[in-house]
Amino acid sequence: MTDSVVSLSDVHVGFGDVTVVDGCSLSIEAGELVALVGPNGAGKTTFLELLTGIRRPDAGTVSWPAMAADAAGDGAGADRGVAYLPQSPSFRPGFTAAETLRFYASLAGTSVDPGSALARVGLASATDRRVEALSGGMTRLLGIAQVLVGDPPLVVLDEPTSGLDPEMADHIFVTARDIVDDDRALVVASHDLVGVERVADRIIVLADGEIRLDGSPADLREATGADSLRDAFAAVATSPDHDRVVPPTAESSDGVPADRAPDDAATEPEVSRR
Amino acid sequence: MSRLSRTGAVIDRELRTLVRTRSLLAVAAAFAAIVIAVAGGAVGAPGGYVSLTLDLLTIVEVLVPVLAFGVVYRSIRGDAERSELDVIRTYPVSRAEYVVGVYVGRSIGVLAVVAASLAVAGALASFASPSAASFLATHSAGDSPVVFVRFAALAMLYALAVSAVITAASAAARTTREALAVGVALVVVVAVGIDLAIVGLLSGGAVGDGLEALLGVSPASAFRGLVIELAVAPALASPPPIPVASPAVSLLGLAGWTTISIGVAVLAVWR
Repeated sequence: MTDSVVSLSDVHVGFGDVTVVDGCSLSIEAGELVALVGPNGAGKTTFLELLTGIRRPDAGTVSWPAMAADAAGDGAGADRGVAYLPQSPSFRPGFTAAETLRFYASLAGTSVDPGSALARVGLASATDRRVEALSGGMTRLLGIAQVLVGDPPLVVLDEPTSGLDPEMADHIFVTARDIVDDDRALVVASHDLVGVERVADRIIVLADGEIRLDGSPADLREATGADSLRDAFAAVATSPDHDRVVPPTAESSDGVPADRAPDDAATEPEVSRR
Repeated sequence: MSRLSRTGAVIDRELRTLVRTRSLLAVAAAFAAIVIAVAGGAVGAPGGYVSLTLDLLTIVEVLVPVLAFGVVYRSIRGDAERSELDVIRTYPVSRAEYVVGVYVGRSIGVLAVVAASLAVAGALASFASPSAASFLATHSAGDSPVVFVRFAALAMLYALAVSAVITAASAAARTTREALAVGVALVVVVAVGIDLAIVGLLSGGAVGDGLEALLGVSPASAFRGLVIELAVAPALASPPPIPVASPAVSLLGLAGWTTISIGVAVLAVWR
């Protein structure tokens, strides 16, 4: 039997006349590493905010069966049920990485060994370094160390590799993979299709606020007849700002990097699976 | 983990931030320098603590909001700007615990600067005044350190109220520019704006017997009225024939500004 850590049921979110999340339903279970992909403006960040409880849906329900009902959002006093690392995170300047973790541990009502926590994400050498002196990649790693404070059953990362060099991006994906276990699920939004294909158990393609595809990387390739996740993505994901968000693989040989943000090019969409 | 422990963690973070941020230390130093300079300039003048209190009254009335603005306005807004507020929200800490922690931590900083500055100013007066007091008055007329201690205590209450107002602005603003604009506007409104409005009402004949109550509505007027009524007037040989302000209304006014502002901050910090 698997344990659901978060469930969405027919969730809708809009900003004025713009629908950002439109009738999404899913369940994420402990032990899963779920990648959320989609073009810019697809609603990924809003979707992640729903998973964390930071944002409430206009309609539909979000539930976290693995934790106390009040632990998401303003869940004072409860165990930490959800952890979140926002896009381009930064921490209050003037504090070391160790002090930052200790502060968050005190909020979670637990203790932390900063040395061990930082070593787990490959940041042991920066324990006493001030956060403003950390590189972008090191700040993300500190953020990942932070999400583990309080041992939450659901971890949500918003584009943790954006703007990082390939080596650091690989390290972050490997670290993300390592923190998933039988009691914890991780959801990561990313444009790095190569990276997520390598580590994700399950990939959700979001476009125009709707879930277009949901399955394992192999399932997605099979469903779309594509050779790679990138091509599967190109087959189903559209953006309101582009006729097509990813060129076919053959065209991408014309100087388009394979890992470039997928909304940089434009051609016609092919199919929609959902 | 108790509510106090979580609030304590936030307070500790704010205090560490204050002592590690050079710009905040510069604001505190500027406040202290001005207050001490004014006190130093009054050394040797007749009048003792009553005179010193009156010399510093307007300075403190105007500069405490500026000090509170400098120390407080980026507190919550800074966390929001860095998206750290979204991270904090995933921890089991309530809006009230977080806001109260920020407010208390930053207010301790403001109070420490006000207290230290006024303590130095009072010490200057006691050591350098040619007519230094040789007795302690507790409830009857006469210039004594009690006058200045009461003034300092009331300045603390005023600082708490103004810090709460700036905390609310920091929590309610959605951008740093908005926080800056709202904070500056509130400083002006609190320090002089409401007073000017009251003067306008007075000159227009719109205020009858309600002046005492109206003065309690303005934090600056409430502070000024309390200082005159509770610190200065008891030390005068001939107290004013009519009360300048109602101490009860003024205290309620400051308490109201404090609690309502913190309430607004708690409601606005996240939804």
